[in-house]
Amino acid sequence: MNWNMNNTNNIPGPHIDDDLKWKAKIFIAFVFVLFTILLLRLMNMQVFKGSYYESLARNNRIRIVSIPAQRGKILDRNMEVLADNRPAYNLIAIPEDISDVSFIAHRLAGILGSDEEDMIERIREAKKRPYNPVALARDISFHQMASIETQLYTLPGVSIDATSERDYVLKELGAHVLGFLGEISRKQLEGLKTGSPYAPGDPIGKTGVESICEETLRGTKGVRIFEVDATGRKTKILDEKPPVPGEDVVLTIDKRLQLTACRSMAGRAGSVVAMDPRTGNILAMVSSPSFDPHVFLRPMTPEVWKGIIEDPMHPLENRPIRGQYSPGSVFKVIIAALALRNNFITPQDTVYCPGAYSLGDSTFKCWRRGGHGNMDLVSALAQSCDVYFYVLGERLGIDRISSFCTDLGLGRPTGVEFKDELSGLVPTKEWKYKRFGEQWQKGESVITAIGQGFTLVTPMQMAKVMSSVVNGGNVLTPRILASTEISRERTLNIREADLAVIREGLKAVVESEKGTARAVRDPEFAMGGKTGTVQVVSGYTSSLPDQSDLPYKIRDHAWFFGFSPVENPEIVVVVIIEHGGSGSSIAAPVARDVIKEYYAGKGPGDEQVCQDNR
Amino acid sequence: MSRYARITDNIDWGLITTALAIVFIGLLCLYSSSRGTSMTIFYKQLMWIAIGVLVMIVVFVVDYRVLLRSAWPLYILMIFGLVLVLIVGREISGARRWISLGPMGIQPSELAKIIMIIWLAYWGEQKKHIQGYGIRELVLPTIFILIPVGFILVEPDLGTAGIVALISCTLMLLLGIKRSTFVGLLVLFISAMPFIWFSLKEYQRMRILTFLDPSRDPLGSGYHAMQSKIAVGSGGLLGKGFLEGTQTQLRFLPEHHTDFIFSVVAEEWGFAGSALLLLLYVGLVTKITQIGFKAKDRFGTMICFGVAAYFTLHIFINIAMAVGIFPVVGVPLPFISYGGSFMLINWICIGLVLNIAWRRFMF
Repeated sequence: MNWNMNNTNNIPGPHIDDDLKWKAKIFIAFVFVLFTILLLRLMNMQVFKGSYYESLARNNRIRIVSIPAQRGKILDRNMEVLADNRPAYNLIAIPEDISDVSFIAHRLAGILGSDEEDMIERIREAKKRPYNPVALARDISFHQMASIETQLYTLPGVSIDATSERDYVLKELGAHVLGFLGEISRKQLEGLKTGSPYAPGDPIGKTGVESICEETLRGTKGVRIFEVDATGRKTKILDEKPPVPGEDVVLTIDKRLQLTACRSMAGRAGSVVAMDPRTGNILAMVSSPSFDPHVFLRPMTPEVWKGIIEDPMHPLENRPIRGQYSPGSVFKVIIAALALRNNFITPQDTVYCPGAYSLGDSTFKCWRRGGHGNMDLVSALAQSCDVYFYVLGERLGIDRISSFCTDLGLGRPTGVEFKDELSGLVPTKEWKYKRFGEQWQKGESVITAIGQGFTLVTPMQMAKVMSSVVNGGNVLTPRILASTEISRERTLNIREADLAVIREGLKAVVESEKGTARAVRDPEFAMGGKTGTVQVVSGYTSSLPDQSDLPYKIRDHAWFFGFSPVENPEIVVVVIIEHGGSGSSIAAPVARDVIKEYYAGKGPGDEQVCQDNR
Repeated sequence: MSRYARITDNIDWGLITTALAIVFIGLLCLYSSSRGTSMTIFYKQLMWIAIGVLVMIVVFVVDYRVLLRSAWPLYILMIFGLVLVLIVGREISGARRWISLGPMGIQPSELAKIIMIIWLAYWGEQKKHIQGYGIRELVLPTIFILIPVGFILVEPDLGTAGIVALISCTLMLLLGIKRSTFVGLLVLFISAMPFIWFSLKEYQRMRILTFLDPSRDPLGSGYHAMQSKIAVGSGGLLGKGFLEGTQTQLRFLPEHHTDFIFSVVAEEWGFAGSALLLLLYVGLVTKITQIGFKAKDRFGTMICFGVAAYFTLHIFINIAMAVGIFPVVGVPLPFISYGGSFMLINWICIGLVLNIAWRRFMF
């Protein structure tokens, strides 16, 4: 049966000539060379470099993504939300999955009402990194989101990503207190130590409470480790650490008072600070004009930024802690307290005001040309007699005045939680010599006593000082966070009887027939206060109370400090209106409105909240 | 009884066994890479293997010398198919390569590969030149080679056009070219390189550039090459195991049914598996060349070498591409890559070679 095998060799020889045989052998050799190349290459990659590629393969499929933590809310003293988080929707595309660019762009542009060419360009650009998800549109409206969501099956490569966006419910009305979030800057990132919780693009509190309480509000990011396929689709979650939401922050601010103060300041430049003189709680803190904090949440166009930064009214400036002004006649309260404490006068002592006061060669006019006649302390405060306080200023001298100012906390930051407070200025003899190279003049003590000299104060300092005068002499550090301890810096050691006289004088400012702020008298509650008018440029007079016949920049600053009730006051309001004209007619009504709102909203439970905050 | 014994005993079972072993490896990989998506690809491939084996038997039964008479009709049929695909072909991502036939599609360019082998073997049989061909004798065959190559380039399908051209060149060289003519043509080809470069499409040029520097754009056109290399390299010595290839299972590997299927072998079976596959391929090609040496006539010899060149070129370019030493071009891996037309042609080739091997005993 094997004959066929044997026959194989007897078959007439293979039909192949020598030339072809030679070339065929080269061909076979060539084939072997090719296969050898492949084998060597495979050996190199798989045997020698196997572990290297192994690590590449591992990194390929494992993604580590941080999950942002929900930022804590900012609440007012009554747990009303001031800064919230709202859901936001981003339109996300995986460029690789979009095959028909112009069709998708056409559809999306139609829904979003945006430019089709621009959309095509964005997708084309994203195609360079085809597996990187890219946001085609951020923070689209709910309506747009719903519209896209229902059509997703006809929009391959497109998806909706739900995120969270900061929502400042007061908008511009709380911008300076709350501050705003912004993307962490490269400079900030570089300054951080390793292990810091921030990554490029993360939001961080830039100003205000958002900045002060950054660590509390921020929370802790979570981490999700998952396996992905080549399109970035999650296939399996390997490990997950959920984020820890940030804690809420409770402020001492009262939303209603804040809104009232803002509305009263509408259209004016200046500040309002409302404080509880018993605790140092800041109930309202307004800087006007303001800005919409939401514009800082996203990178803004140069035009928007230029518009904010070049606004002559400086809306970004936080005036309550950074605006420095002459105190004006409000300063007379301080002089009165000092003179009583140091027994330079008694409440009954009178000074005759002829309308001017002469010292050496100089004459210092009273604001009332015809003079006030005989003035005791109460009537001098009520009618804001300049001559009365010129006399006190000369008797006290600058050393006592400046030392007392320092005791009150002037000339340095008040200690409220904000980081960028300015100090104001308490002039001394040394200061003047250093600054101008000249000796202190007696006349300068005289005008310092009516608040027109070198002295500079911030509205926050004013609120702190006035609170200490009306609360029985306790200098309290202002606080904006309910969690901050109440801090009494010192007591002024002024006799209660003397303080009562001052309160009586301040009450007469509003309640007496000749009081400078009698116009704001309110039948529903008794209040005290003190007006102040600061000359910005001397030599101009106006017949109108708001001086609207003068150019804006040379109009006087208007001050008013008010408090209520007169005995055991619960609220102190300091108002300054830049270039507002006279303090009595322009600034006082703002303070009155805030106090009125304070009473309107004062429920039975309010006392309790104050106790809790203690 | 004895006649039956002769028929079966002279069939080259080694060749068939080798091809079937490779097919088996291919099915394992296809199963692994289709898992989790759609198994229809796997079943379709099974069906095509069955059809392929049947067609192989048909090709084996009919005496291959019939092809001497049908070389021209086949050539005309091929041109007809290549023109037809440009007119009625299905357009898939910018290329027209498929003609729909009911639920199936065929690729005329795949058929062109085997028809050009037959046609060139026939042509060599008709025009014999002891000293080799000079320029004048080469003009006509060159034109007849360039016509199908041109049509395939228009589709466009750079890989297939290149394969057809290279198989043709190999066969021309084996048929014999005058030494002076060969040197002259070589010089001409090298100087024509820049023009070829600029006639390429943008994406084709990008592929070649990223091949030269894969880190150019790891997520763009270098992505495929990079992911394939990671798959191959991470397979290591013994592989990650059947169905355990992360690159494959998580779909980092593109075209893992077709052009990059070798990466699946390499990732899941490691160096051991890929070396075994290479050995099987070497066995297959050597077997075919041996049959070529023993063929009864020059026509059979030429067909065998053509088929050997056909397999070698596909295997080398495909694997070289997967291991990153060749630019990414669409060249499938014989008996393994998914694709009906291609599987069919592979079995037709085997059928032809078996036919030639068997008929060397006939007179």
